Amino acid sequence: MNKINWKKELRLLPGYIIVVLWVAFTAVMLCWIVGASLSTSREIFSGSIFKFATGLHWENYATAWKVQNVSVFFGNSLLYSVVSCVGVLAIAAPAAYVLSRWQFKGGTALRLGLVIAMSVPVIMVIMPIYSLVVQLGIKGRILLILLYIMLRVPYTTIYLLDFFSTLSKSYEEAAYLDGCSGPNTFLRIMLPLVQPAVITVTIFNFMSVWNEFFMALIFTSSESMTPVGVGLLNIVNAMKYTGNYGGMFAAVIIVFLPTFLLYIFMSEKIIAGVTGGGVKG
Amino acid sequence: MRKNKAMIFWFCLPALLCLLIMFVYPVLRTVLMSFFKVESVTAGLSDWEFYGIGNYSKIFGSESFLTSMRNVMLIWIVGGVITLALSLLMAVIITSGIRGKNFFRAAIYMPNIISAVALATMWIQYIFNYDFGLLNEVVKLFGGDKVKWLGTDMKFWAMTAAFIFGSVGYYMLIYISGIEAIPQDFYEAATLDGANKFQQFTRMTLPLMKGVLKTSITFWSINTTTFFLWTKMFSPIDTEGSTIVPVVYLYDIVFGGKGVTTRDAGAGAAVGVVLTLIIVVVYAVTNRLFKNSDLEY
Amino acid sequence: MKKKIFSLLLVSALSLSVLAGCGSEPANSSQPADDSQSGAQSEQSEQPEQSQEPADDSQSAGGKQYEGVELTMWSMWTSAEPQAQVIQEAAAAFEEQTGAKITIEWKGRDINTVLSASLEAGDKFDIYEDDYKRIAQIYADYTLDLTDMAKAVNYDSFSYPCLNNQVIEWVGHLNSIVEQPQVGGIFYDKDAFANAGVSAEPKTWAEFLDACQKIKDSGVGPIAQDDAYCDFAFYHQLVRHLGEEKIGELSMNGGWTGSAAETAAQEIIDLVNNGYFADGVPDAFPSSENKIGFGQAAMIVCANYVTAEVNNNTGTEVNWGLFNYPAVDGGVENSAAYAGANSLAITSYSQNPQAAFDFIMLLTTGEFDQKMADTAKQIPADTRNTAPAVLNGTVETLLAADAPMSWCGGLYENADLKSEIKDRCMKLFEGKFATGADFCKSMDELY
Repeated sequence: MNKINWKKELRLLPGYIIVVLWVAFTAVMLCWIVGASLSTSREIFSGSIFKFATGLHWENYATAWKVQNVSVFFGNSLLYSVVSCVGVLAIAAPAAYVLSRWQFKGGTALRLGLVIAMSVPVIMVIMPIYSLVVQLGIKGRILLILLYIMLRVPYTTIYLLDFFSTLSKSYEEAAYLDGCSGPNTFLRIMLPLVQPAVITVTIFNFMSVWNEFFMALIFTSSESMTPVGVGLLNIVNAMKYTGNYGGMFAAVIIVFLPTFLLYIFMSEKIIAGVTGGGVKG
Repeated sequence: MRKNKAMIFWFCLPALLCLLIMFVYPVLRTVLMSFFKVESVTAGLSDWEFYGIGNYSKIFGSESFLTSMRNVMLIWIVGGVITLALSLLMAVIITSGIRGKNFFRAAIYMPNIISAVALATMWIQYIFNYDFGLLNEVVKLFGGDKVKWLGTDMKFWAMTAAFIFGSVGYYMLIYISGIEAIPQDFYEAATLDGANKFQQFTRMTLPLMKGVLKTSITFWSINTTTFFLWTKMFSPIDTEGSTIVPVVYLYDIVFGGKGVTTRDAGAGAAVGVVLTLIIVVVYAVTNRLFKNSDLEY
Repeated sequence: MKKKIFSLLLVSALSLSVLAGCGSEPANSSQPADDSQSGAQSEQSEQPEQSQEPADDSQSAGGKQYEGVELTMWSMWTSAEPQAQVIQEAAAAFEEQTGAKITIEWKGRDINTVLSASLEAGDKFDIYEDDYKRIAQIYADYTLDLTDMAKAVNYDSFSYPCLNNQVIEWVGHLNSIVEQPQVGGIFYDKDAFANAGVSAEPKTWAEFLDACQKIKDSGVGPIAQDDAYCDFAFYHQLVRHLGEEKIGELSMNGGWTGSAAETAAQEIIDLVNNGYFADGVPDAFPSSENKIGFGQAAMIVCANYVTAEVNNNTGTEVNWGLFNYPAVDGGVENSAAYAGANSLAITSYSQNPQAAFDFIMLLTTGEFDQKMADTAKQIPADTRNTAPAVLNGTVETLLAADAPMSWCGGLYENADLKSEIKDRCMKLFEGKFATGADFCKSMDELY
């Protein structure tokens, strides 16, 4: 490790102060949520959670786990995120590849359509989709998965398209000479070449689906298909009437913990995904 | 390389279908719907009644909608300037060579992985609490009078501040990657030429980050037009004028809120069209402003 | 690397096929109700099927008259709430008694966003829960007329006439059965009133002001008020002076200036200026109502659920009392009190309406209704049951109510402006308006 250069550190001091304050504030918030999850409602509402005058109320966690459907919500979110990420890739990658490789009738139009679709806000499409879904009677988890897949296709296609265009055509030519069919070339040779981009965009898609709220609120018609965000809102609403705020914050922590652990172990990857996805978009 | 028509067709078809089902058809129908009097969102075409620009004159004559537009504009401009400036500041600090760079970067981004529902509850019940909230404790420490952060005149800004806090980490990441993409020797050359840190930042970093800035502004615009959850959280029982935004307005008139028994999907469609047009304009303007963003380096 | 991608695709194909399986699976396969159902089915086979009997016999007879009948209920609760647990128990008991199978889907309070579309689309469900006003005014076309079935069980004899009449006034017939009645007014801490020397519940505005002064002198902030309920509180004052119909007209067309609304607003402003509100009013929900539990406030204008909320939030047992909003001088509607309900209704296209109705009756009368009232701390739907201690007197108040007032109905008639109107109500309690006339002027600027 290099020696501490005090002069340099001093010059950076204002910067340190700012980020340390910011992080300290985040830490206070987190501590408060943890503290609240171990307190009674009375302690939360009298502002005395850190005194733990009545001890640590671990039973909040037991209640939150048992009574609330936290595990169901969590499982749903995971299912939605994972399956739609895979589904999006299955649709977007071939399209991106073909669009980047060949000029063909309608290709430019499709590409333009995808670019425009990226900037269409959800509320512009939500009402016809709602009515369509009701008419067709599509229900259950499959509905949200389908919607998320279709929603993420334009962005993912355009993102991967850029990467496919950077690849040299000599790969395909070599493959063609070896007698490899078009689809095979795509699967075996081209797709692995853009693997880093695939990972980046998948993490980005994963986060987007995980955090999606508006569509989830409108289209979840029962508790068994509720993802985490809407589920937590339901819990918060239920708590308003039953007055178990400690249990509510315990539910928050239960939902937060796995994500947090994942984040600690994968923060480099996640950050790469967010920035990669962000910068290219 | 030979053109394989069948492959092109089958590879494009799913994406094309997604585009048609999820975007083309709904957009067209929403546009059409905005010119009709439609009560229920699921009403079939036969129940639509031509209404001309009636829906548009209704929403632009509605004080609630105008307030919601005003609010979202404030979030977009004021919140945007603050968020992007703070994110840039954090990004510059983190790339300035401080110790624990990775820790700070991960810690500042962290609010993004906590559910906004949980964050908002914490802000409302703890930070902004009138009697024992963190902010009022600080105010009291300096001998001030307790402030009603969640009163009608402060609530909007309280909500915006909470939203900004949650957003900074995300844009910071984007800026960090932008800054790190600039080759280090640029700075070394500039330092040799006698440019100080500030000059380096304004003359080199910012111009070189044009593309990243454009991206962040685009992302911010999309995020603010779809602003919904924070309003829901900050007006717990029912929508309030001080925090209303267009999406919430749309949600209320299309699906009906507490105690409301009238619905108006046509007006909801008009709200959607107006918001989309605004986004299109914002896109066009940012694209113009950051025209030559493809600087090669 | 190639292998990796290939396996990724393989997994994707696999999960898509699994997914298809997920979609077709019934949503509630994990409901505990299933256990009791299988039990009921095994018993079914031993008993011969009975013919359908009149509804009132179904509970006492205990015959398996609904063998093979499947009912689906859409509930407005989430499974976390006490109401849900009672419904679950009642469903199990019903399955045990009749051999029917009940599937409950917990939709949560946002049920209103899905109900109208689902009813229009004819989704397969028999029973649903929502606010009785919405059932009457939005879903009536898709909801069964319950008049005859209700008559058969003599429903009128153990329900609240004011709520039933209200439904009949809206729809022309009875189309919902009350599950969770609500009553509004001023809920107060009897001990705080006694300490301040207020012996009688105030009946008039003058008596009310007098009580406020005494409570204030005793060192307690008299009235608690949360921001979220400002419109509801002020609505009481408006109704006293104008009546609901007139408020509806004003909210639709404006013209507040010069109306009695000026007096109503002025009276609120006087309350603010006299310091009759607790510290911090209007506070962020539920901070202000909690002050009653912490002994810092004495009363609140709200509906009955405030009692359980405050008790739970603050971990105290407040000695609750309820009195009707005081009468004002020159008022036109001096006796109305808020009354409302979350009710159960049956879809017009239900295949088994009688079975559905019998289940509703099981849930809203007798043992299960009492259980619901006790665990969820709510007013019993069956008037023969007794209200939990925190709600002492509410059954009587609701039975005696002759002029039910809706939840801000007049103000909300203008759905478009309601958020703006609500904002002005909050400002009124914040003391942002100097006079009632200022308030009305600000309201008129909306039109």
